[in-house]
Amino acid sequence: MSRSWVDAILAAGVVPASYVPDASLGRSDLEEFTGADPVEDPELRVHPLTGARALAPGAVGFLDGIEQWRVAGYAGVIPIVRAYVAAAIRLRGADRHPRTVAEDDAELAITRLDRLPDAVRRALEGTGVRVVEISAEDVGQPARALPAARVEVQKARAALERRLAERRLSRLGADEWLVTDGVLSDSPELSAHPRALGVVKSHGAEYFDGPELERALTLPALHRTSVFRPKRRGARREIYSWYLRLWPWEGNDLLYGLLRVEARAHPDTIALASRMSAWLVSERAPLATPDRRWDRLLYPIHDVETYLRARAPRDLFSPFGSRLPLPRTGS
Amino acid sequence: MIERRDPAPPPVGRVVATEQKPATPHQFHFWTANQTTIGIGAIVRVEGLGAGDSGRVVYGVVTDGFAYSDLATPLHDVVGAEGDPARAAESPTVRQEIRLWTAAVLRQKPEEPLQPVPLGQVHVANDVDVAQALRMDAYLGGAEPSAIPVGLYTSGALEAPVYLDADFLLGPEAAHLNISGVSGLATKTSAVEFLLGSIFQHFPPHKGRIAAVCFNVKGPDLCFLDQPGALDEEDRRRYERLGVRSQPFELVRYFAPFKADGVNLNTLRTHPELVGDVEPLVWGLREVLDYAEVLLNRDDIDAKADAFIDFLSDRVVDKEFDDGFGGAHRVVTFADLERLFRSIFDGLELGGGRGDTWRTHHIATIRKVRNRLSNISTRAKGLVTDDGPSNDLPWGRFEDRAVYVVDVANVDPLGQDLVFARVVSKLREHLERRDLGVDAVVVFVDELNKYAPADGPETYVKKMLLDISERGRYLGLVLFGAEQFRSQVHRRVVGNAGTIVFGRMDSDELATPVYQVLSPATKIKLATLPIGELMVRHPHFTQPIFVRFPRPAVLRGRDGVERFPPAADLPFEDAVVRQLVKLDRRVRPNLVKDLIADRREEDVRRALAHTRQTRPQDAFAHFKKQLGGRVAAVPAAARETVAPLNPISDDPY
Repeated sequence: MSRSWVDAILAAGVVPASYVPDASLGRSDLEEFTGADPVEDPELRVHPLTGARALAPGAVGFLDGIEQWRVAGYAGVIPIVRAYVAAAIRLRGADRHPRTVAEDDAELAITRLDRLPDAVRRALEGTGVRVVEISAEDVGQPARALPAARVEVQKARAALERRLAERRLSRLGADEWLVTDGVLSDSPELSAHPRALGVVKSHGAEYFDGPELERALTLPALHRTSVFRPKRRGARREIYSWYLRLWPWEGNDLLYGLLRVEARAHPDTIALASRMSAWLVSERAPLATPDRRWDRLLYPIHDVETYLRARAPRDLFSPFGSRLPLPRTGS
Repeated sequence: MIERRDPAPPPVGRVVATEQKPATPHQFHFWTANQTTIGIGAIVRVEGLGAGDSGRVVYGVVTDGFAYSDLATPLHDVVGAEGDPARAAESPTVRQEIRLWTAAVLRQKPEEPLQPVPLGQVHVANDVDVAQALRMDAYLGGAEPSAIPVGLYTSGALEAPVYLDADFLLGPEAAHLNISGVSGLATKTSAVEFLLGSIFQHFPPHKGRIAAVCFNVKGPDLCFLDQPGALDEEDRRRYERLGVRSQPFELVRYFAPFKADGVNLNTLRTHPELVGDVEPLVWGLREVLDYAEVLLNRDDIDAKADAFIDFLSDRVVDKEFDDGFGGAHRVVTFADLERLFRSIFDGLELGGGRGDTWRTHHIATIRKVRNRLSNISTRAKGLVTDDGPSNDLPWGRFEDRAVYVVDVANVDPLGQDLVFARVVSKLREHLERRDLGVDAVVVFVDELNKYAPADGPETYVKKMLLDISERGRYLGLVLFGAEQFRSQVHRRVVGNAGTIVFGRMDSDELATPVYQVLSPATKIKLATLPIGELMVRHPHFTQPIFVRFPRPAVLRGRDGVERFPPAADLPFEDAVVRQLVKLDRRVRPNLVKDLIADRREEDVRRALAHTRQTRPQDAFAHFKKQLGGRVAAVPAAARETVAPLNPISDDPY
């Protein structure tokens, strides 16, 4: 697909643009209080991992996705966004080298079709690119339109990741686990699978307050909290979760090295919580540097992201140079 | 000659270019899987893809390699392993690593316009690619192919013969070969032996006849070139792959001077089964005088001495000559010359008032020349004969594909210089006149740093080597020089060598500026090169190429000495018998011994030399005639006494 549809709409009169939003490189978490129910202990407690024998699966698939988007052009003031989402699972076996076992990607155009001039709309529809529309209320001011486009990109990415994960689950080996970068609770299959783990790095959602919140956020390194059950919210499924601290936060930040782990809502999860935590602690090495989130980012997840970025269309990244207007040259 | 093994092997790498490491017309970078057959020296083919690059093919040779992971700083590894190196190996995931290679461009097709290497797929080169990459296609085929196999390029399971162009190895386009390498790794001499065999088998017919003159300057290195050596299956396979027959040289002639006794040969090839093939190298006054500059230029370059030697050579030697003091001379030998000198000194000393010059030459100059000439006949006794005929290489009768080994390993350095200077000069003279018997001669000289050092005085030998290096290719006089340290050889001598070969090199030597064009990785490979592997530079190759060659099919010197231990020196009579029997098998030893009993050894040596030179049908009869009749000792007659006319009285008064 690449730029062919972009060329078509530019030919139809769209003014080219090259705006790459800063938020294009990541996604945000929900920022609201949802609450949680105790599962393992009557209240949130701190459990040391000392002595916990790390789970050691024979093979582990790591799933992550990326999203890239930029404004390809404006038809009047209506933005037409070019977005690219991709996801991959890289399986790590006995040789400790991750190898890609599943991947998928999609390119989409995000705009509001009924606000586009006829020629542009026809050109866009004629290219065959998948068009995702933002709501009519969000069109008009770029300050509203672009965040709305961003939400659509994130949805597309999450859907792609979910599809890939669910496909993989059906052929997961007996000694194979699947670790996703992000929540499991979006998918019924994932949230119910005994060998699926979600590793959440962002902590926008609040499950506790008061002393329990303090206990969760001041968790010492190599400790976990009690297993709890986040309260159900929207389409999310029932899941068990707990916090895990990989690195000492003192001297850094409360969220430094802090993960939230999701696993299926099952008594076995409580029984295995420490062993699973010890396993995740062992994933601290190698460090996921030079990523700024290395304190929370597992290296194999970082590896998937590196893989996906290496394969993403290069023209979706921020240009190296300045955005000074350049004369049109060449053919 | 060339076989294609796999018409469509899968790519092994991909060219990458960044702003810091761009692809250029002369260099590119590519990555491979961590497990790869690619290594330093591997030849690769890059195929251009996409608009503008489709159809372009670039050949390159790997000159450097890099491996690194995504580790931003070593400190991160320490942190990840919590300071415990053992734990670093236990991490559940292995970091992403890269094998990144740098390659130097060997050839681009099409060659114009010359552009940066396309960012295409990288393939391991096969036989055809190697021929293309090294531009061997220009001389492998055609009406007059001129390819000389030098070794096998190997990379992983692939193996391809590498050829040198005879026009650039043996002239006239370029010529000469220089080989460097540390001693004792069976590389320099072995490589030259193999290459000479290859040249003899593949020298293009249209280029005529070729021979080789090898100076054996140390030990028994070149003493058994006619004897088969031990080869294993791998060697034979390599010979077959290269299209070279694994056999020793068919025609080898050995020359060695005598020892000081004048009858036992000064060589390690004295085993009874082999010594019969060794011919004595004996030179007389004329042979020495023509190259007297060799004797003079070491300590004292003296125009006066030079002039006097020229005078002797032009006016005295081999001519009837009046010394001006009433004596007539015909100077043919050192002994004749000594008589002339004595006559001159006596004439000047006894003449009274006639001054201290003779024929415008000062007596001191005459004494100096006399000392130098008598010095060589003393120091190189056995090579230089005081009296009697000489025995030399077969000038004008050189045979095609023959090796002439001149064994001077045990000769005094001054004598070695003389041998070297004279043999090479004679080769040059005959090649200039086109009457040597062959059209081209390869001269192999080991220890080149001794004969043409980078520093030190301008000796006759050095000047002569420079002359060969710079002009020999037009004559068919080709220098194959070997040395341990290339940096210690005169740069014009090595610089004029069209083909440069390196065996395993000393690290200190590789640190010298001579090797600054080589990448650090290539230097490391050179410093650890196994036996039988060489790096070759040739005018057609834009980059040095590593090749493997089989062991030479001749008996190594050390093995030869074990298999054919040198015989002990024979007593004078037995040595004379052996030489006469060699000339004529009918000669009866006892008759010879009876004949020479009580005879002066000088007379026997002279008669023997004459017989050797004449090679008569009946050697004994000729020898006997030359020796002449025995002169019976005549007792001294009693002295007649004359009585004093006036006897002295005992009385003092």
